[in-house]
Amino acid sequence: MIEVKHLSKRIGDVQALDDLSFKALNGQITGLLGPNGAGKTTCLRTLFGLLQPDDGVAEIDGIDVRKDPIAAKQQLGLFPDPFGLYERLTPREYISYFAELSGLSKAQAKDATERAIQMLKLDDIADRRCKGFSQGQRMKTALAQAIVHQPTNVILDEPTRGLDVMSTRLLRSNLQQLKEQGHCVLFSSHVMQEVAALCDQVIVMAKGKVVAVGSPEKLCEMAGETSLEEAFIKLIGSDEGIAA
Amino acid sequence: MMKLLNTLLKKELVDAIRDKRSVMAVMYYAIGSPLLMCGIFFMLINKFSSPSDLNITIKKSQNAPDLVRYLESRGITHGTGEDLKAITLTISHDFAKDMNQGKPATVTLIADNSEQKLKSSINRVQRALQGYSSEMASLRLIARGINPAVVQPIKVVMEDQATKQSKGSFIFGVAILSIIYAVFICGMNHAIDTSAGERERNSLTLLLSHPLSTRQIVLSKVLAVTTLAMTGLLLTLLVSKAAYTIVPWQELGFTINVSFEFVVLGCLLALPIAIMASTLQLFVSFFAKSFKEAQTYISFTLFVPMMLSIATSYDLAPDTLQWLPVSGQQQALMDFIKGKAIDMAPLMASNLITLLLSIGLILGMEKALKSEKTIFGL
Repeated sequence: MIEVKHLSKRIGDVQALDDLSFKALNGQITGLLGPNGAGKTTCLRTLFGLLQPDDGVAEIDGIDVRKDPIAAKQQLGLFPDPFGLYERLTPREYISYFAELSGLSKAQAKDATERAIQMLKLDDIADRRCKGFSQGQRMKTALAQAIVHQPTNVILDEPTRGLDVMSTRLLRSNLQQLKEQGHCVLFSSHVMQEVAALCDQVIVMAKGKVVAVGSPEKLCEMAGETSLEEAFIKLIGSDEGIAA
Repeated sequence: MMKLLNTLLKKELVDAIRDKRSVMAVMYYAIGSPLLMCGIFFMLINKFSSPSDLNITIKKSQNAPDLVRYLESRGITHGTGEDLKAITLTISHDFAKDMNQGKPATVTLIADNSEQKLKSSINRVQRALQGYSSEMASLRLIARGINPAVVQPIKVVMEDQATKQSKGSFIFGVAILSIIYAVFICGMNHAIDTSAGERERNSLTLLLSHPLSTRQIVLSKVLAVTTLAMTGLLLTLLVSKAAYTIVPWQELGFTINVSFEFVVLGCLLALPIAIMASTLQLFVSFFAKSFKEAQTYISFTLFVPMMLSIATSYDLAPDTLQWLPVSGQQQALMDFIKGKAIDMAPLMASNLITLLLSIGLILGMEKALKSEKTIFGL
């Protein structure tokens, strides 16, 4: 479970987060939806302790990130934007490296890596160096890295960006699978379709604040619109920075 | 703690070994610099030692056959061909007549005195002519029944106290500088790659998002860069050991013997320098916004140890420099190769200062990796 309470953060002259509070539950996919510059990435970075909030608390499974960052991060898996691959390592080396860093023993990391490779159908490229990988192959490697240590919470920053239909589908089915296994999945996006298709709960963000929370259907109801897209535009009050 | 550090270090090393640029940097320096030094030694030998036969132009040699024979016995001949030096010795018409009458007989030496390369040759001809002149003078005095010693009121006896090894002090300094410098050059590329490069490739945030302390991350990077630097140093020492044997040292009058003991001592003394070089390079690169910027900053930092080292080679302010990083260790190595006893107090102090600097820089990096500015390169 991921919970943020009254997060505020100023970056330069911009109030990136403004008294932001929400909850992402286990066994659910939660979408953080907002236009470009709404503060989605800032919020996710705060969850990992990469940014220190000026005010407020971020908790992972009840652990305050600021007080015990190591324990909190052990419950997290990150699918970053951009992916941050090591081009000179193979996916197998890359995945097992991060598995060990997340606290698994060498043997455990080896098994977990094999499992992740099977799950994401990475066999054919598992022992090739990442240099020159396609966007889809990179996505799969990054996702395997995020879930290899079976964290309770998986955070994905703009996961479908630059992916083709096949890769997007694969990603979606994997997220569904994580949800069924009882993980808490939180992802940020500015793509409507993706959010509508996947999320149990949508948190609509604009200018660092939560504008609305609810299932896609509930959001439509709230805005009195039939499509999520229209509802979204109505909720945030502009159509700036949204991809359909 | 140790297990994670081990995982981090292993990955850093695998990454470095697979990076062509990092490996090439080590190889180029380790093989290139000793060979370059050998090249310099050969040039010095050519410059210092006059060729055994000096070919000059002697005009009107028929006027003074005895002088020409004397010069020939000193290896100075009238010659033609490629190695003919631009020195002309002209013997005057009246040479024989003046000689017979006991008047100063004129020979004219024509050469460009400002030409550096000719200096030693000109001196040699002049010395030979003076030798002939004083021999003639002695013969004349003997013929008149006078002991030639009366015209030699002072006899200068030169006793050279320099041992063979201490003669080439400057050359030792340069040779040891070129070896110590390996720890600065060989780890440099990986230092940039793993800090500024890591951020540029966006893997730094991912790494920091894992349950690790920044100390573990920094230490693993320092250890990896130090390992590369020390590998480069060891290779440089071994290549020097092999390459220096082909230099004809006897012509320079001293020897640089890269003995096994020197290799061991070199590695031991360079270790603190390598740690400092690695931390300094990582520190600087973490604050650079990009790979390119880091390269620029690092070239500035290379300047300081270079200056310290050159000052040591020139024997400038040795009493101060022996306490400082780089120059302290270099001084000790120079003493060792000259066969002198190493002064332990300044060496230990210099090692301590080197390590304290490194620790300071490591703590600085740990702090920097917790700051948003460094993480995101703001």
